[in-house]
Amino acid sequence: MSAGDILSIAGLTLCIGAAATAAVVPVAVALGWWLVRHEFRGKAFVRALVTLPMVLPPVAVGLGLLWLLGRRGPLAALWEAAGVDLVFTAWAAALAAAVVGFPLATRACEQAFAAVDTRYEQVAGSLGLSPLASFFRVTLPLARRGVLYGALLCFTRAIGEFGATAVVAGIIPGRTETLALGIWSRVQLGEDSAAAALCAVSFALGLAAMWAGERWLRGDAP
Amino acid sequence: MSVHASIAGILFLIAPGPRAVAAELVAAGAVSLREPLTAIAREFESRHPPTRVLLTFGASSTLAAQVRAGAPVDVFVSADPRIVDRLEAEGLVAAGARRDVALNRLVVVAAPGLRTPLHGAEDLLAPGIRRIAMPAAAVPVGRYAREWLAARGLLVALEGRLVQTEHARATLAAVDAGHADAAVVYATDARAARAARLAFRVPDTEHTRIVYTAARVGRAGPSADALLAFLAGEQARRLLEAAGFKAP
Repeated sequence: MSAGDILSIAGLTLCIGAAATAAVVPVAVALGWWLVRHEFRGKAFVRALVTLPMVLPPVAVGLGLLWLLGRRGPLAALWEAAGVDLVFTAWAAALAAAVVGFPLATRACEQAFAAVDTRYEQVAGSLGLSPLASFFRVTLPLARRGVLYGALLCFTRAIGEFGATAVVAGIIPGRTETLALGIWSRVQLGEDSAAAALCAVSFALGLAAMWAGERWLRGDAP
Repeated sequence: MSVHASIAGILFLIAPGPRAVAAELVAAGAVSLREPLTAIAREFESRHPPTRVLLTFGASSTLAAQVRAGAPVDVFVSADPRIVDRLEAEGLVAAGARRDVALNRLVVVAAPGLRTPLHGAEDLLAPGIRRIAMPAAAVPVGRYAREWLAARGLLVALEGRLVQTEHARATLAAVDAGHADAAVVYATDARAARAARLAFRVPDTEHTRIVYTAARVGRAGPSADALLAFLAGEQARRLLEAAGFKAP
């Protein structure tokens, strides 16, 4: 395996992680805030549902996605009509990573918003800010470290995703082969040194991301 | 450039755009064909620019399952024609869009340092052979190996020693690493062994005929048909023979 191969696998992995995180964060912010600021019946159930992709076997998540996106699932006619074929593409890998990373981001956002004193929002309201403006100008800036930390957790989980991705995106070198999938397929082929090289890249990326997170997002968090 | 623009740019780069697909073929092959099929694909690319052939390898049964699930595979080379038969019956391979491309044989390999003598099928019953690496029965080499052991009346006795592996190469890798004591593998794979040693060859009269079948999957396309024809052609045959396969 050449350095070029390693770079392209790492590059694809980072792109998939970035796409998954970009898709997840807005939803996680909205849902996290809503769960913290609203009391309603069945809230515990909703939170359990949000956490589910984190505790389910990733392979089961992958099968569920394959069923939803595939040619034999309930939405097959819809995909056919729209001319969309996501299965076994990098988009499917990003979607799998997003689903698995989503609970981490949402949980972190919830914690971040829970730490924001509602009095700031009340003051903002009394000074004439609309609820939406007060969210973007007061609440979100105060919660930003926690939100960013959630985004980082989602990203690192996404770049390590294996089970769901393997099922819904396959392992197609150059299209869907991420670091985790590349490690697995090389171990299966008995190419231990190539697998070790990809492990080292994963280790470096994961450590760099989490260290940056601890350093800038957790160290002196408000 | 804004963050949104960067993300859009990245997404555009990884998106399988229609122009990229037109010049790219995806060939899914039995993992035992890894080296020759890679060489054949490179040869095909050099003769059909600007076509690129993306290769993915695995157990033929796994690849067939992916094809069923909608994997964008253009050409599939299976280590067992029965897998292609099933795809054909399911309408995923058009009638006639298949060619037999190679033959293989079975051998038994032993782990490095294995003390137990291993010269024939009955020797697998020796207490020193505690673990035999073998893929599931759906995987071609797992099926061929089981059919042979069943024909020799040994399968039931050995069932408790089988440790499941992913595919043909993973089976060899398990013996190479000493995780398993022995395994039934393809003769061509045994050539790639790093530490495992060839114990004995299975007489080809004793096992099912091992035929590699290439098939065009799904929609017809001139380049997919050209690749299928190339796989059954002279150039490919030479590359397959150099890797130890026989012509069908």
